[in-house]
Amino acid sequence: MTLAELLISSLITIAITAAVLGLADPAQHVFQAQQEASDVQQRLRVSVDSIQKDLVMAGAGTYAGPAAGPLNDFIAPVFPYQAFGDNPDPSGGTFFRNDTISFLYVPSTASQSTLASPLPPGALDLQLDAPPNCATPTINQLCGLGAGDRLLIFDQRSQWDVFSVDQVGLGGAVLQHRGAPSAADFRAGAIAAHVRLGTYHLKSDDAAMVYQLMRHDGWTTDLPVVDDVVALRFQYFGDPEPPRRTVTALDDPAGPWTTYGPPPPPIDDIRGNWPAGENCAFLVVDRDHVPRLGTLVGGGLASVELTPAMLTDGPWCPDGLAPNRFDADLFRVRKIRVTLRVQSALASLRGPAGVLFLKGGTARTGYRYVPDLEVQFDVTPRNMNLDR
Amino acid sequence: MVAALIVLTGVLATAELISLSTAHNLLARNATVATILAEQKLEQLRALAWGFDASGLPVSDLATDTTTDPESPSGGTGLRPSPATALQTNTPGYVDHVSAGGRIVGRGAQPPATAVYTRRWSIEPVVTSPEGAVVIQVLVSPIRDRGGADQGNVGRLPGEARVATVKVRKPR
Repeated sequence: MTLAELLISSLITIAITAAVLGLADPAQHVFQAQQEASDVQQRLRVSVDSIQKDLVMAGAGTYAGPAAGPLNDFIAPVFPYQAFGDNPDPSGGTFFRNDTISFLYVPSTASQSTLASPLPPGALDLQLDAPPNCATPTINQLCGLGAGDRLLIFDQRSQWDVFSVDQVGLGGAVLQHRGAPSAADFRAGAIAAHVRLGTYHLKSDDAAMVYQLMRHDGWTTDLPVVDDVVALRFQYFGDPEPPRRTVTALDDPAGPWTTYGPPPPPIDDIRGNWPAGENCAFLVVDRDHVPRLGTLVGGGLASVELTPAMLTDGPWCPDGLAPNRFDADLFRVRKIRVTLRVQSALASLRGPAGVLFLKGGTARTGYRYVPDLEVQFDVTPRNMNLDR
Repeated sequence: MVAALIVLTGVLATAELISLSTAHNLLARNATVATILAEQKLEQLRALAWGFDASGLPVSDLATDTTTDPESPSGGTGLRPSPATALQTNTPGYVDHVSAGGRIVGRGAQPPATAVYTRRWSIEPVVTSPEGAVVIQVLVSPIRDRGGADQGNVGRLPGEARVATVKVRKPR
């Protein structure tokens, strides 16, 4: 080999080595970015699935025993705020948060019954009727309810509360209640059923740089579902027509007495703090029940957006004094729009805050960028759309 | 030289791997977003009125325009039965075009330049109960020439989503 050949081959080797080294650094970044992009997508899918799974069930009511039908014939199944736990939002006067939603539904369960004896305010001793769907009571379960199960009690007056079964004895059970003692005054015959409930909300802590989709279990536990969720927004769309009376007489036990929402009391009956014959959804005019809520403009048959003002201005159900009161316009809800944004967990893969990134990072070159992923999706709770 | 060539081959293979992983990630992203967009339209259509009024007469929403945001109570097709080719061609009233961020940016036969996905849907009365139930199908594709997939039966190509449901008129 001549000196010239040696030099040329050395030059070629150096050129190839330089090319390899030149590729190595970007390749490492691209591999890191692609892995993170995949992770962002996965977290987005989990977020969407979790929220969709619960919201689509919201409003499912009792179908055995009392067989009362969907919950929104009595109470609101979704609330745009933290509705449960030790410090529910209504206790502080908050009735709307655009990044929070609470939901209720009766799952597939045989534990559906009615109160055999009244449950006055603050009382925790439960006596249940024994319809055929209930299992034979034992020392461990009452109508299939065991210690730790959540119980929803509600009635036609739109009173409701959530309890947990603390202890079961033969023929009865002792309940637990979170926060202030229950103020609801349930009469015998009120509906009691095993319930699933929860609250999704956004935890956004800029100081600690913690952004999480959280799920509160409706009792005491608040756990993260997905990390690095940087935006969450709920919008509500509802029936422009208010609840109306059907032709079914109020004393006909079969119902339905209204197109949706709670039935009014008979004309001369007083319910809660309302005048005789009225409730949060119906007025009495000329001894006839007429809707208390108005027809929303621009609706026709299409659902219209329910603004925060509409959902916080009353009328309140069951009445304006109940601690867990809710706006009667929540009965209208037919569709929930969710906007969700997920970001890269690594600041080194996020660029400056702007269109691509809600929370800025340290990346300064394009091949290190893993942009935020934002989606918007609708959920139409099946049991809140039985009239549509 | 031989060693250098071997290294070069390895490097080229790695580069190919990068390109492949990027392409697959993009495909997965498209499929995820397409599925969410398809479900969104399905839920939107499911929310349209298809029941009975207070006096027990059937109520059918045949006018709501779901190709606008917010949806408009008139000027659209609602749950009106679609032409048989609604999933195969862009049929106004049964198609909208969506940006990368999920916003509706068009509703005509031709997608605008800002569109990334095309969303077509069909409303088909159930043969045995045409007044009682409809089959709703939604197909979301990234904007591209779907070739033979738009001829005859519509299949689902990689990166696309196709979902279906049945909406039944129920007495309360």
